[in-house]
Amino acid sequence: MLRLRIGFVLIAMVLSFFGARLVQLQGVDPRSYAAMAASEGAVRVPLLAERGDILDRNGIPLADSIKGKVVFADPSLTADKAPEIARLLSDRLSVDYFKTLTALRGRHDGSRYEYIARRVPSTLATDTVAELEELGYTGVGTDDDPIRDYPAGDVAANLIGYMGTDEPLGGFERTFDKQLAGTDGEATWQSSSSKSVRIPLRESTTKEPKDGAPLRTTIDRDLQWFTQKVLAQTVAQYKAASGSAVVLDTRTGETLALADVPTFDANHPADAKEEDLGSRAMSETYEPGSVEKVLTVSSLIDAGKAFPRQKFKVPPNLARQDRVIGDWWDHGPIRLTLAGIIAQSSNIGTVLAADAFTPPQLVDYLRKFGLGQRTDVGVRGETAGILTPGDQMTSQTKDRVAFGQSVSVNVLQMAAAVNAIANGGVRVAPSLISGRAVTDDGVVVGTDVATRTRVVSKEAARATAKMMEKVVDPEDGVAPRAQVPGYLVAGKTGTAQRVNPVTGLYDGSTSLSFGGFAPADDARFTVYVVIHAPQVDGGGGSVAGPVFSRIMGYVLGRYGVEPTNGKPSRLPVEW
Amino acid sequence: MSSPALQARTRVTRIAQEAVDKARLTVVPRMRTRAPRVPFVTLVSLVLVGGIVGLLLFNTSMQQASFAASNLEEQADTLAAREQTLRMELDELRNPQRVATEAQQMGMVIPSAPVFLDLKTGKTSGVRTPATRENAIQLLPPAPIKPKVLAPDPTIVKVPATTTEVPPTTTDAKQRATDGRQKQRKNRSR
Repeated sequence: MLRLRIGFVLIAMVLSFFGARLVQLQGVDPRSYAAMAASEGAVRVPLLAERGDILDRNGIPLADSIKGKVVFADPSLTADKAPEIARLLSDRLSVDYFKTLTALRGRHDGSRYEYIARRVPSTLATDTVAELEELGYTGVGTDDDPIRDYPAGDVAANLIGYMGTDEPLGGFERTFDKQLAGTDGEATWQSSSSKSVRIPLRESTTKEPKDGAPLRTTIDRDLQWFTQKVLAQTVAQYKAASGSAVVLDTRTGETLALADVPTFDANHPADAKEEDLGSRAMSETYEPGSVEKVLTVSSLIDAGKAFPRQKFKVPPNLARQDRVIGDWWDHGPIRLTLAGIIAQSSNIGTVLAADAFTPPQLVDYLRKFGLGQRTDVGVRGETAGILTPGDQMTSQTKDRVAFGQSVSVNVLQMAAAVNAIANGGVRVAPSLISGRAVTDDGVVVGTDVATRTRVVSKEAARATAKMMEKVVDPEDGVAPRAQVPGYLVAGKTGTAQRVNPVTGLYDGSTSLSFGGFAPADDARFTVYVVIHAPQVDGGGGSVAGPVFSRIMGYVLGRYGVEPTNGKPSRLPVEW
Repeated sequence: MSSPALQARTRVTRIAQEAVDKARLTVVPRMRTRAPRVPFVTLVSLVLVGGIVGLLLFNTSMQQASFAASNLEEQADTLAAREQTLRMELDELRNPQRVATEAQQMGMVIPSAPVFLDLKTGKTSGVRTPATRENAIQLLPPAPIKPKVLAPDPTIVKVPATTTEVPPTTTDAKQRATDGRQKQRKNRSR
């Protein structure tokens, strides 16, 4: 019996030790032990989500992601053979030899990790490291580092934006980052060897990465390229500060091209000036000048307050209270029809015609044309432009607004307004995104949500288009060089004084523009061109007109729009 | 209720008594049937050994499959990366800028207006405009304006030799050597 008791006591003691240890393990700090157990031979690999492509309207990538590698070195292993390794690395990866040499020797004492090259195409990086290993050099490794590539360089760069080292820094890349970025996943498993081979039947988890969704734009890559080239050529030829051009599909409001010059190569944004990285077409305001006259005149016709053959006696000058309004050319008293006022771009004539409107009436129409409001197409930093509310507008301001002064717009706004006339008086909200997409700020944009609003009647739009045909007429108009051979073209020139943003005064420079559409009797495309501050003399017709003609000719051919063989406008310009 | 039960018990006892009388139990001599043990042990051992070996083989094959899987995964990764690199190269080859440059080098020009050919009637529509060299678009930005003279002559300022004296602390040995004679002369004249 005694032996039995002693035995029980011993067993009880041992068990209580076990119990105490159990409490220690499970009660005091269970997590750290669990973590220790898990980390024993555990491999944790981040599975990087692939960033969604930015596509053009035909699915051709404007920006795409490819697998890349970062090549790094452990100086404690590479320092001895640094020159040999550096030579091979600089040969293969085209990196600077001396910088590589410094990295291989360690930029500071005790360094164990130095970047050699970032965003190296995966195949090149692994091949290079394999070659190094074959030669017996150790200490150079690779890790995942996705590459964002812009295959067409500067094409649509102002819209697409660009990536910084790890984060988007501008354009669609930043506006739609949530959609494009996707969510990274992670895989963990138990490994037995340094080669990280999974031990079967051991705990392993995989959280699949969710790749970013592609963003399809309405841009046509080739057309965008062509537009940029033609625009750049003109900007260089006239030594202009900048220029923008827009091509809209008249019926759908899709923006086929939105070009800015100067632009930048999205693959190397750091080489460009900072002010060239955004889209000037969307962020800069300017006074549209005479192109705005077509909005005023079509509104007047819609309201039944004017008609194309209406006769006006246009004096040499028009005194309005303390200000005198003049025309761009010196003339005596002349007799122009409303069509002639548009064809000759007479300020005085437009003011006389607009006298039928009160300021609120004119402003209401302009607002319906989209002036003074953002187009909200998904471009960051868009300006709303300036349109004084009708009830605060003086009659002097109204006179100037009627021919495009004292009102500011952005390029797409103005193009969409001209497009409303092309589209039979219905304004289609312009869009840059095909389908629909949600910006990071939660704004839904795209062709699916594009709104249509009737601004002026079909008859008023048609009559205005007829008058605009006269603008490119070689005898009656001011912009014969905007014609496209074989097609009926309707357009309007604009030569506006530029406001110095610092002083708020006209500084003597001009913004030359041309907006129009073709075929005039069944419009398919609207093209709007602005050249800011050229240093060579010229007007909207002679500088922006040829750009319009070239782009329009190209887009009509590209989309196979045959000439309509319609009859040209026979409206009289004088009486 | 209890009386019929009592009756039953007495009856049963009687019957049991008869049975006991009939079957008198005697001790049966122990009959040991010694079943052959060897087959059983062999069977068990075989099952055990078979199980262990099977498990081992299974484990090994799983390990091998795991190695094969990670090798294949690596290969798939490499191939995917190669495909992407090739796709990138293709995209760069399709770059409109490159295509246009090649086309212009072959003498092609983008026309200023299109002309359509109806294949059925063989008639053209549109105005035929000649595409000349002037219609070619500028593919590269104009070259930066260079200075008129690329290697301007060095500006030489002639200093009268007599007015300045080379200080004695000049470190330039060559200068001193070439000027040596002159200096001596100067010293003499002083």
